[in-house]
Amino acid sequence: MSTVESRPRVGAGVNRVDGPRKVTGTAPYPMDFSVPGQAYGALVQSTVAAGRIVRMHTDAAEGAPGVITVLTHENAPKVGKGPTTVLGASPLPPLRNDRIVHHGQHIAFVVAETPEQATAAARLVRADYETAEPLLDLHDPRAEQVIDPWGMDTSRGDPAAALESAEVTVRATYTTADNTNNPLGLFATLAAWEGDTLTVHDTSQWPSMVRTTLATVFGIPESSVRVLVPYVGGGFGAGLRAWPHVVLTAMAARMIKRPVKLVLTRPQMFTSIGHRPSGVQWLSVGATRDGELVALDHRSLTSLSMEEADYEPFASGTAFAYRCPNVITQDRQARLNIAVPTSMRAPAEAQGNFALESALDELACKLRMDPVELRLRNHTDVDPRNGLPWSGKALLECYEIGARRFGWSDRNPEPRSMRDGNWLVGYGMASAWFPYFAQPCAAQATVNRDGSALVRSAATDIGTGTYTVMAQLAAEEMGLPLDRVRFDLGDSDMPNSMMAGGSGLTGALGNAVHDACRRLVRTFAELACGDTDSPLFGFSPDDVECTDGRVHPAGRPDLGEAYADILARHGLSELTSNGNSTPPVDTELGMSLAGAYGAKFVEVRVDTDLGLIRVARVVSVIDGGRILNEKTARSQIIGGTVGGIGMALFEDTVTDPRTGRIANGTFADYLIAVNADVPELDVVFVGEPDHGTATGTKGVGEVGLVGIAPAIANAVHHATGKRIRELPITLDAVL
Amino acid sequence: MTDVASRRDVGERPAAPERIMTLTVNGRPYALRMDTRVTLLDALRDRLGLVGTKKGCDQGACGACTVHLDGRRVLACLTLAAQAEGRAITTIEGIADADGPHPVQQAFMEHDAFQCGFCTPGQIMSAVALMAEGRAGSDEEIREFMSGNLCRCGAYPNIVAAIRDAASRGGHDARL
Repeated sequence: MSTVESRPRVGAGVNRVDGPRKVTGTAPYPMDFSVPGQAYGALVQSTVAAGRIVRMHTDAAEGAPGVITVLTHENAPKVGKGPTTVLGASPLPPLRNDRIVHHGQHIAFVVAETPEQATAAARLVRADYETAEPLLDLHDPRAEQVIDPWGMDTSRGDPAAALESAEVTVRATYTTADNTNNPLGLFATLAAWEGDTLTVHDTSQWPSMVRTTLATVFGIPESSVRVLVPYVGGGFGAGLRAWPHVVLTAMAARMIKRPVKLVLTRPQMFTSIGHRPSGVQWLSVGATRDGELVALDHRSLTSLSMEEADYEPFASGTAFAYRCPNVITQDRQARLNIAVPTSMRAPAEAQGNFALESALDELACKLRMDPVELRLRNHTDVDPRNGLPWSGKALLECYEIGARRFGWSDRNPEPRSMRDGNWLVGYGMASAWFPYFAQPCAAQATVNRDGSALVRSAATDIGTGTYTVMAQLAAEEMGLPLDRVRFDLGDSDMPNSMMAGGSGLTGALGNAVHDACRRLVRTFAELACGDTDSPLFGFSPDDVECTDGRVHPAGRPDLGEAYADILARHGLSELTSNGNSTPPVDTELGMSLAGAYGAKFVEVRVDTDLGLIRVARVVSVIDGGRILNEKTARSQIIGGTVGGIGMALFEDTVTDPRTGRIANGTFADYLIAVNADVPELDVVFVGEPDHGTATGTKGVGEVGLVGIAPAIANAVHHATGKRIRELPITLDAVL
Repeated sequence: MTDVASRRDVGERPAAPERIMTLTVNGRPYALRMDTRVTLLDALRDRLGLVGTKKGCDQGACGACTVHLDGRRVLACLTLAAQAEGRAITTIEGIADADGPHPVQQAFMEHDAFQCGFCTPGQIMSAVALMAEGRAGSDEEIREFMSGNLCRCGAYPNIVAAIRDAASRGGHDARL
């Protein structure tokens, strides 16, 4: 049986199927839902970063107009801890005890009849603290260090000796700031109980996990929990956890026996739903005089909260990025009195790649070698960790096409050599990668009596285009026009899905959709081929195709019949198949799963007098394997690029070093890239479908961001002669 | 502790006066009894169920709540509902006509000018006003005058392309 003879490498850029809802304001986000009788919650957060609560004063709040209840650690029920996931231990449940571990920790939850009453009453709650000196400095010797938290430290060869004897070395320290995910959609939770059954609208990138967490926390069966999130409102990693406020809202709803709705405020978004942690990285690079890498020593120390886990192995990418015989990577995390960090678009790679790609630029300068040439000389077509060939890696093509489109050959290698009036002009480049990631996924495909199809999975579309690309994929597999296929998601009652995260969903879910659709077509084929009334009678189900909603012998569309006819003749209202995908294993494939690659070329302009830094052009050439939808995939790359510009030039969550309070927790103070900061962005997709998976996709949600910050930093060096090793690069650093 | 004490005073003040306000939204009048401190954004979302207008910061910094008052763009989170009395309020729910989407809505779809879609109603309301203001003359101008509307997904280049396209087709009068 075959469904599609040859797949396009780049799929049609059809408009998003959810576009009409998004442009008319009718797409419902978690904060948009309401149910009759709902009460409203408001959070009270700690105003100290360390210590314990001596006493809570809730009388004034309890007596305020409209207040139904005030939860604190003194009266909140003690609930269970959520499960450990692939992202580590679940955030700890709220209001467990009197201990304060960070500024902005939830210490009370006020529930009232209106949101205004809840907010007003929350201001009346007061806490007496016994304060302790908070640990806030990454280098504080008192901070506990977690050694190799993810078991990803690597070592091969003898890096120390190789560095000692290397002809040329670069040793440098790079630092990156705390960044805050800040999706535009304020995180919201609406929890409603009916007896022991819980329905939750929640801003989440992973409803299956939120269901499991709430079932575990409240000690009820998973089948009694339903998590709904048809539209997310952005996440960038912030929606990968079941945060304490989600548990609190459900807890309060259970206590007052009414639905409760909570919408976080923007300042609360800085302390309640994770952030990209700051870190310092030490990099030593050894090379021969002709630019061959002989040693890489990459170590990181990054910030972590007191009690939780965060997947952030900054240095790990250096183990596979280039051919180099002697490599050591080490990651350490320091436990501080900060809010829980979490994945933010391109976790670990965004930061680790900044250090490595900056250091390679420094090496190229020292060698007086073109930075592209340096990378070409150290390219590897096998995974240096295991010697297996990559399942797909068109990085050489990325460099070549990128350099040509950008006009890299016009670059005068001398720093400060290119000018345009008062602007110093700089060209910089960097390689980019984001490793392959997948988790088990399930999907269900149904063909209805009219021949239309419904495919479902408990996934989310965080803006990546999941609704659209999965419908495209299913339409292709089942030989249906796109408008006869609906893909539905965002409901934990649907088949289990992995998170929208780690650039993994499109591949893993795509493989599950592929599996479900193929099984369904097979069922139709078997029915028809065994039916004397069918024109397919006598043909082998192995030799059947489907096109235009008809099942037919391969190459003989004239002998086919429609799905609807097959169903009608057998008295069936529908046929359904389930599909699954599990992550492939490198050693079984004989290939190392490659993930996405890219080359980034950036032009910056730096005002000689003011230090103003503007990004003038960006060319991104991406090997994302098979691209399901050129339009939405391009949007992923430009979106990642904009995030990378923010990381490079603007984003810096500032924590007051004495109190641990976030000092810029608003959109007025925490700068992200705005429209006027972003030039026209050139995006090209190269490569071929990945050989390691059925659908051939690699995932493009993160690779667009990786490499932008170092390409900008390298361009700033080229423009100004100043090497900036600290993000964000602000104008004072270049003056 | 003085700030806590003063906060308590605020809480113990008698409730703010309510009164009946008439808001004309998308051509339709609504009479609402409301606290006079209610913002236009909360009135639209919580009282009228017009949740297409989004709350992204409630501090006037993100543009997600952009609506039109007498054809001019305003931030609904920084506008009291009382200030909007007697004026024509237009929201994202009110810009399409019976023939189909507004040209700017259509252009946003064609150019994939959104991803998660949360900021999109505000972007579109700003874009429609921008064209009426005569500020869509060049990409540079569009970028500058759309910079009050944050998009965290980073759809900016496509937003510029969509507005350029809609403007070149004659703005509101064009049907794509």
